Amino acid sequence: MTVKMSYRKFVRTPFWILPIALAAVLLVLPFTGVSNGTLRIIVSIALLSMLVVGLNMTFGYAGELALGQSALYAVGAYFAGYLAIHQWDLSLTLIIGIIAAAAVGIITGIPGIRLGSWSLAMVTFFLVLLVPKVAQLIPEITGGAAGLSGIPLPVLFGQKLDSTGYYMLVIIVAAIFIALLRNFVTSRHGAALKVMRESPVLARSLGMALPRLKLAAYMVGALPAGAAGALFAYQDGYISPGSFAFTVAIAILASSIIGGSESIYGAIFGAAILTIGPLRTTGVQEYSLLLFGALLVLGGIFFTGGLAGFLNKVIRSRFVDDELLPDVEAALGAPLPLEKVNGQDLEITDLKKAFGGNQALGGVSLSAKAGQVTALIGPNGSGKTTLLNIVSGFYNPDSGVIKIGGNHVTGFKPHRLAVAGVSRTFQSPLVPKSMTVAECVASARYARRRTSILADMLYLPSARRARREDREEAIRLLSILGIVEHADRRAFDLSLGMRRILEVARALAGDPALILLDEPASGLDESEVETLSNVIRRVSAAGGTIVIVEHNFEMIMSIADQVNVLHLGSIIASGEPQSVRNDPDVVESYLGKAAREQLERELAGGDK
Amino acid sequence: MITTLSAGLSIGAIYAIVAIGYNIVFVASKVFNFAQAQFLMIGTFIALDAGARYGLPIPLAILLCAIVGAVIGALEEILAIRRLAGKGEHNELVTTVGVSTLMAGAALVIWGPEPIRTPYLTGLGQIQVFGSAVGVIDLAITAIAILLASGVAVVTRRSMIGLASLASSEDRDAAMLRGIDVKRMALGAFVVAGALVAATAPFVGAKTYATYHLGDGLAVKAFVALAIGGFGSYLGALIGGFIVGLLEMLGARFLGSEWQDISVFVLLLIVLLVLPKGLFGRTKERVV
Repeated sequence: MTVKMSYRKFVRTPFWILPIALAAVLLVLPFTGVSNGTLRIIVSIALLSMLVVGLNMTFGYAGELALGQSALYAVGAYFAGYLAIHQWDLSLTLIIGIIAAAAVGIITGIPGIRLGSWSLAMVTFFLVLLVPKVAQLIPEITGGAAGLSGIPLPVLFGQKLDSTGYYMLVIIVAAIFIALLRNFVTSRHGAALKVMRESPVLARSLGMALPRLKLAAYMVGALPAGAAGALFAYQDGYISPGSFAFTVAIAILASSIIGGSESIYGAIFGAAILTIGPLRTTGVQEYSLLLFGALLVLGGIFFTGGLAGFLNKVIRSRFVDDELLPDVEAALGAPLPLEKVNGQDLEITDLKKAFGGNQALGGVSLSAKAGQVTALIGPNGSGKTTLLNIVSGFYNPDSGVIKIGGNHVTGFKPHRLAVAGVSRTFQSPLVPKSMTVAECVASARYARRRTSILADMLYLPSARRARREDREEAIRLLSILGIVEHADRRAFDLSLGMRRILEVARALAGDPALILLDEPASGLDESEVETLSNVIRRVSAAGGTIVIVEHNFEMIMSIADQVNVLHLGSIIASGEPQSVRNDPDVVESYLGKAAREQLERELAGGDK
Repeated sequence: MITTLSAGLSIGAIYAIVAIGYNIVFVASKVFNFAQAQFLMIGTFIALDAGARYGLPIPLAILLCAIVGAVIGALEEILAIRRLAGKGEHNELVTTVGVSTLMAGAALVIWGPEPIRTPYLTGLGQIQVFGSAVGVIDLAITAIAILLASGVAVVTRRSMIGLASLASSEDRDAAMLRGIDVKRMALGAFVVAGALVAATAPFVGAKTYATYHLGDGLAVKAFVALAIGGFGSYLGALIGGFIVGLLEMLGARFLGSEWQDISVFVLLLIVLLVLPKGLFGRTKERVV
């Protein structure tokens, strides 16, 4: 029986002290009589770690495979090497190496990321193959196939560094980059990447511009590659295209897989294993491709998450209990009322949409007022979901006008609509597996309150404040909706009913002008429907504009202020719930002709 | 000039052959098989052994290459793709790169690092076209790519099995409900693509030689061909391949040989930016 650490303590434990301690130990190592050979291996591990941690940004966190880390490494190395030969100070060669790698990153990243899936991998793979060609194109700078030799020992701020100085410099630069990238992935940008990787649709509906987000991650990953290249140029005073061959790219990928692609410190494990193992033993060079290939296949199949993922899982499940955090406890003790929701009126005029020959919407006009629940009902295939998807930007309408609070938003992309105030929920709730409930709710604030990537990497006060406010707002909303005790649980573990309420909380976190609910009651039992209905009533009473698509007739009757009935792409009735309920057209579309006739007989009888 | 053009067409035809392989797998299983070009590379070595060591006639060499390609294709699907079902594209990226690396590594260990001339169709000579010398092997390879593209396109459009593969690419679940064995379609696609691509190796090897890193350049350039032509289109793969081959040869001739690959790279960046769906690609709307 193991004694579990309380969750409270786990969250507060500064685990980042471990890597800093590691860096400190490495820095005193040269003065303990460790051999130069060992120090050289540590330098190689540090350089490879920088390359791997950069790849992890793109591959592990943004979900796009980039094979070009070794080419960016080359760019950094050639720039720094050439300038060093011309007596430039290391402070400059390092910065220029980083900038050059970032520039090549942006040129390849924009076209590569635009199409998604394989294009970035292929563009960057091509880049690796181009390294020797470009080297041959400008031999006076690169030394061509023979390589660039005569790179002097580094001079930093006018001081010549000896080999110990070089070693310490590499450790410090590597530590700085690893810290910067760690700050990046734990920031709101990191959370946005998580959302995007698990559900691009959700990310777009939360206002995230996906290509920009991916490009940001790729660029952040290019920086350490450029820096590692610049440092590498000084290691032997000689670089050649052979140092950056495709094998190096594959070794970087293999290290990432072994250490865990979605991790920071895993990169160090992976780099250490590969450097101490296959990369050092020259006797197995002939077999290195076979070995790396096998590592990739096996790693891809069995070892998702890598070493870091494995350790993380074990620690979480074995050693941590789920005690509530203090802010959650405080919120539990003092439930809050829902204050004002700044809803805006939605005005839809003559909206049309056809899929091929199928006219899904044939000229729908509809309005939803702030402070009201506007329901959209109708049989399957009547166009309800199409309408919702147009208003949230996932489809483009063929014609028609959509206005929110008087502003035209017709044809906006989902992320722009989200920024304009459209929040939505989904038929089957979209909650990222790896996030807690509070993180899920806070993710809706990403697009509304931007923080700069640089501020997040440096962990500046503005970044800290944004993070604190995200947490406070999430806890506040969860407490209002009555599920705050689950704030730090995995969102994926919640029951369906609670996930729906979580989605409402997330919608509210985006300060919505309009909330679209897509069949929120489906799959819920009666008491869950009642809870959800209460939540919806409270949101509309606080001023929210709610449009709800729902099959549950009883629920609609109890919460809706206005009901619109869609049938085959047109609105056949709208008005207050009771009048719609007794509309002969509606009864016929739902229950058939016989029911209509019966209703008409009853109405006629009632008149007598 | 005509010599340059015919050389460009035949190089482009080789890219088209690999691109057709990409397409066969992609259409049936939505997997991009990064290792596809390595089937051609392995094929050239099989052709080498078939001719130089066992003295097989060329039809038997073609058959042998096809069999080896089919077997490796099946192994790849079963060992590196099928087990991932449900884990998503993210892992396919890794395992197909892994398979590709394994194949290159195996070739390096078995046949060594030096490029070796393959024995078939080496003495075909040249014919005169409008007063310029054109290699017969260039014409043969170009013809093979055209035949392959049109043959696969016809089979896909006209036969039950081709239509089934289209159906499973369009909507996997609906295809399963219609009684299409989606798993076997995927396996079949890897086998067919592996066999067809490898089978062209006795011809291709006469131009490229057998070398373990043949697949690297082929993989990217066939991808460029596909990006130009549009994923899923066989006509697009063919035309895209020719465009890449011609550009490469013209770039080398007018700018210098160092520019051969760089010009293709620039073309790829431009195509991705201005023609994201390719010449013959299609688009899809439903997301939620």
